[in-house]
Amino acid sequence: MSKAKKSLVCWALLSPFLVVVLFPYATMLSTSLKQKDEIFTFHRTWLPRDFYLGNFAELIFEKGFGRALVNSLAISVGATVLSLAVAIPAAYALTRMRVPAKGALTNYLLITQMISPIVLIVGLFRMFAYFGLVNSLLSVIIAHSAFFMAFAVWMLQSYFATIPKDLEEAAWMDGASRFSAFVRVFLPLCLPGVVVTAIFTFVNSWNEYAMSLTLLRQVSQQTAPVQIAFLTGTLYQIEWHLIMAATLLASVPVAIVFASIQRYLIGGMALGGVK
Amino acid sequence: MILIAPCLLLSVAVIGYPIFDVIRMSLFDVSRTGMVREFAGLTNFVKAFADPVFLQAARQTFVWTVCVVGGTLLVSVPIALILNEDFYGRTIARTIVLLPWAISLAMTAVVWRYVVNGDFGTLNMTLAALGLPFENYPWLADARMAFLIEIMVGILVSVPFTVTILLGGLTSIPESLYEASAIDGASSTKKFYYITMPLLWPFMQIALVLNVIYVFNSFPIIWIMTNGGPANRTDILITYVYKQAFAFGKLGNAAAGSVVMFAMLLVFAIVYLFLTKAQGARNDV
Repeated sequence: MSKAKKSLVCWALLSPFLVVVLFPYATMLSTSLKQKDEIFTFHRTWLPRDFYLGNFAELIFEKGFGRALVNSLAISVGATVLSLAVAIPAAYALTRMRVPAKGALTNYLLITQMISPIVLIVGLFRMFAYFGLVNSLLSVIIAHSAFFMAFAVWMLQSYFATIPKDLEEAAWMDGASRFSAFVRVFLPLCLPGVVVTAIFTFVNSWNEYAMSLTLLRQVSQQTAPVQIAFLTGTLYQIEWHLIMAATLLASVPVAIVFASIQRYLIGGMALGGVK
Repeated sequence: MILIAPCLLLSVAVIGYPIFDVIRMSLFDVSRTGMVREFAGLTNFVKAFADPVFLQAARQTFVWTVCVVGGTLLVSVPIALILNEDFYGRTIARTIVLLPWAISLAMTAVVWRYVVNGDFGTLNMTLAALGLPFENYPWLADARMAFLIEIMVGILVSVPFTVTILLGGLTSIPESLYEASAIDGASSTKKFYYITMPLLWPFMQIALVLNVIYVFNSFPIIWIMTNGGPANRTDILITYVYKQAFAFGKLGNAAAGSVVMFAMLLVFAIVYLFLTKAQGARNDV
């Protein structure tokens, strides 16, 4: 079979799944460019009447969705910085130093990664309430970091293990301290790994729903996913044209970033998943 | 050791303490406002297990987990096999398959809720345009249909992760095995059964266990699409627990439910550890 023919067969076999994946995107795009009256009529079409961009403006300036995007951004950046700040030293120690009870520690981290925060949400809420941190973005930053950190340690470890030890040892020979060898020699070498881990943590935090929903109880503090879900809960007519515009705004940039790191994920997952 | 301390501290404080707190609440009499009163033994658990809604949610959790995980594997294996072939536009196809992973589950759920909306949704619009009689069919009004749709969305969002793991497995199979079997005159079906399947099996096991863990406590899809309704017929344990705690203020009940789920998760996690350990041992030999 020639490659062209094979390609045709492959695409044909994949097409049912691809249609299901792309259907919601087509829906978002089509609906967000429509005006309200086009949605609530009997004769509806896929193609918007004229490509109307007013929904996006209304969303950001009148509905306060800009605020939600800013909240999401603050939380995701905060959670990424915090979890990397604790995960990088831990991953370095686990790959380069003798750590007592190393096996138990990695198993513990693995198990924490499997516990969904939602199972512990009652305890989590009470803890942050005790410290007066409910309704503070800080609580979500801390919670996200704690739950996404294990995965970061895991990914970083698999990258760190691929860097040859000789380079650092050479730096020590030249009189560099352990810390400066780490900062000047080791970190630049594993920058790609750190970047992929950071992006993955950022995307996870950006998309997280249950913790943000529970810990931030005021509308002005809602993150983008929470606010979008909140908008569908109105008693009167649900403004789908605005909601679809919101999902488009909140998902397309993240999807592009995610697509750009996907080939690293396939390698990293396979490394971490089976080792 | 100092290097690991911050990481451990954060994890013990934010994950360890709530575990302790939830277990404590499950064993005590807790007031609506969260005051822990006297020791109540297993009363909370007895109450939960006597609640017909809890039992119904437990049954539905079982159906939900089995259907989503089974369906995901059935869909993912052929997709991974195709994506492992060399064909034109493979990178684009891979990117599209992985797309649902990049989007918040909450937003996916919102969009699907609109897609299947009876009066305004794009599904009915498309079906009607094709001449099918679904002008105003309310997909989410009937519990069975709603649950089925939620299961399908669940499968859709689990496929990318599973395909990723399986692709990692497929690329690790050495090409030389296929070449050797071709010399021995093996057909492509035989190659699939005697080379691909056995070597892919460990990866399928891992995907299976991880998916059970993720799907078992997946919250946003059901919460947003139906909120467990109509009449609790699409509730799973996690939405039951959430309602008990944050809608009805029955913290003791919610804690008991959480502990039951936590215990089950721990069992799955231990199974996973054993699986990966066993494979690690086999790889070392």
